[in-house]
Amino acid sequence: MHLRAERMWSNKMTELIDFLIVSVTLVAVGIYGIVVKRNAIRMLISIEIIANAANLNLVAFSRYTGNIQGQVFALFSIAIAAAEVAIGLGLVIVAYRLYKEIDVAEFRSMRG
Amino acid sequence: MEKMVDLLSTPILVTIILGVVGLAIPAIDAGRREKGTNRNKIYSAIAFGALIVSLGIVFFRVFTGEVLPAVAFAEGVLVDDMFGSFFAVALLLVSLMITASSWNYMKGRSNPAAYYSLILLSTIGMVLIAYSTDLVMLLVAWELMSLPTYALAGFSKRDPISNEAAIKYFMFGALSSALIVFAIGLVYGMTGTTNIGDSIRAMTNLDPTLMPVGLLAVVLFIAGFGFKMGLVPFHMWLPDAYEGSPTTIGGLLAAGTKKAGFAAALRVVVLGMFALNADWTLTLAILAVFTMTIGNLGAIMQRSVPRMLAYSSIAQAGYIMIGIALAPYSDQALSGSLFHIINHAVMKSAGFIAAAAVAVALASYSLEKYRGLGRRMPITAITLSIALLALAGVPPLNGFWSKLMLFGAAINAGPVAEWGPWLAIAGVLNSALSLGYYAWIMRKMYMEEGPDMSKVKEPKAMVAVLVFAVVFMVGFGIWHAPLIDFASQAVPDLSFVSNAAPGPLSR
Repeated sequence: MHLRAERMWSNKMTELIDFLIVSVTLVAVGIYGIVVKRNAIRMLISIEIIANAANLNLVAFSRYTGNIQGQVFALFSIAIAAAEVAIGLGLVIVAYRLYKEIDVAEFRSMRG
Repeated sequence: MEKMVDLLSTPILVTIILGVVGLAIPAIDAGRREKGTNRNKIYSAIAFGALIVSLGIVFFRVFTGEVLPAVAFAEGVLVDDMFGSFFAVALLLVSLMITASSWNYMKGRSNPAAYYSLILLSTIGMVLIAYSTDLVMLLVAWELMSLPTYALAGFSKRDPISNEAAIKYFMFGALSSALIVFAIGLVYGMTGTTNIGDSIRAMTNLDPTLMPVGLLAVVLFIAGFGFKMGLVPFHMWLPDAYEGSPTTIGGLLAAGTKKAGFAAALRVVVLGMFALNADWTLTLAILAVFTMTIGNLGAIMQRSVPRMLAYSSIAQAGYIMIGIALAPYSDQALSGSLFHIINHAVMKSAGFIAAAAVAVALASYSLEKYRGLGRRMPITAITLSIALLALAGVPPLNGFWSKLMLFGAAINAGPVAEWGPWLAIAGVLNSALSLGYYAWIMRKMYMEEGPDMSKVKEPKAMVAVLVFAVVFMVGFGIWHAPLIDFASQAVPDLSFVSNAAPGPLSR
């Protein structure tokens, strides 16, 4: 009985660690994208990847602790991210109309 | 049984008023019969009315004493306390000034309904940040504040500069909120709760092996909030965003969203600092010194007034950070910070609105156009001068008293934190440096003569706002006791936290 409980616990722990590894990888991918890429849409997607890594974290922790609050929070966060992308894409479309270009390296009329 | 949400508590009431009006304005605009007429003035008046009513409610609650004393932690998601009320007053004042001056600024521009609606919605977010005691509420309020301002920064759709500012602001803003979600996820994972008070209590007796995760969470919080506050390693987007967005919106960003960032940081980071036994104060002090020095050095070289004001607002964030860094050592430090926050909110809005008035009248932001402004636009010039002197901290004005409190707290902290007096020295040197470029603008306005010295008609609503700002800056400079009193009442009582945790205070 005791052994079984311990195995269950360790299963849960390995599961959590698996999720955390995926999440940390996603953050690394996202940060790489923001730092290296200069295309506005790629940068937007990279930011979304980081936000989703955070959501994955929340859900994994929620499953590990058996507390529902984290999943509720993840739902809030996903809804907010959707609104954010809507505004971001709107801005990128306006930029394309003005510059015929979505390379952020070209957006540097302000200096100093 | 779960306690019901009190619909008449201040934050909910303010949300309902501003939310209903903010959603009604575009609805009215969509439903109107005759197309083509610009209804800027009506919408401006409606938004102004809603903000005045909200400010009145907050003040009424404070004066009748229905507001709780400032608390560090509370159950539930929102608490109606003095800390929240203080920030609500400061932020609603900023929104009021911006809305009133948009009466002139938005004249002849498209989509006034959306503009005022977005300002009101963003104001709800800012006010709710100050009142929230739960990380979920904090994130939702943070996004409610940020999302409308991204759209507002890019509001001049035909202007490439405005769009560029909005894209830069959006990229860094979205990154900062992703970092905040990540930090909240870590705190939740360690403590199993999202209530700020509960999670900080759980952090005080954290398993030592989890300590690095706790530190990572605090660093991510500082980075996430730091983007909005304009702290130095996270400030690169700020001058471009404040300069490029419509000038009134630049004021809203510099005076409003920045202060809301400080409210969030005070609610989360300062208390978290007590909870984790690590001594964060020196790190924050170094951040403060870098922030004010780099802000002032950047401001010296500028030729555009909004851009100079943007750099100067970075420097002012450094002064406010002095008080936050010294929070564990001195009671005076946090009240000095809060006092400087409300002063800076008014001073900076006045500066940006004066720049907007010049932009409306002369269609330029360049410092060259400010030559001879003392005779061309007397009220705008005198307000800009007073605002700049107050930002530099010249004696009879309100900015002097808050800086005095902050630097005094830094010197008094000397016996417990040996680096305290150095912060005061850095602050005084920086104030002197900033007076250099402020005086240069004043010299342009009063001593030099431009090619055209004809008198220009000053926009009326902006003049009214500027006169109010002058009354505030001079009035609270001479009669500063009530404002200091209000600020010190808004500081949460942290003694029980430091008793629970063997933090820096109990040494």
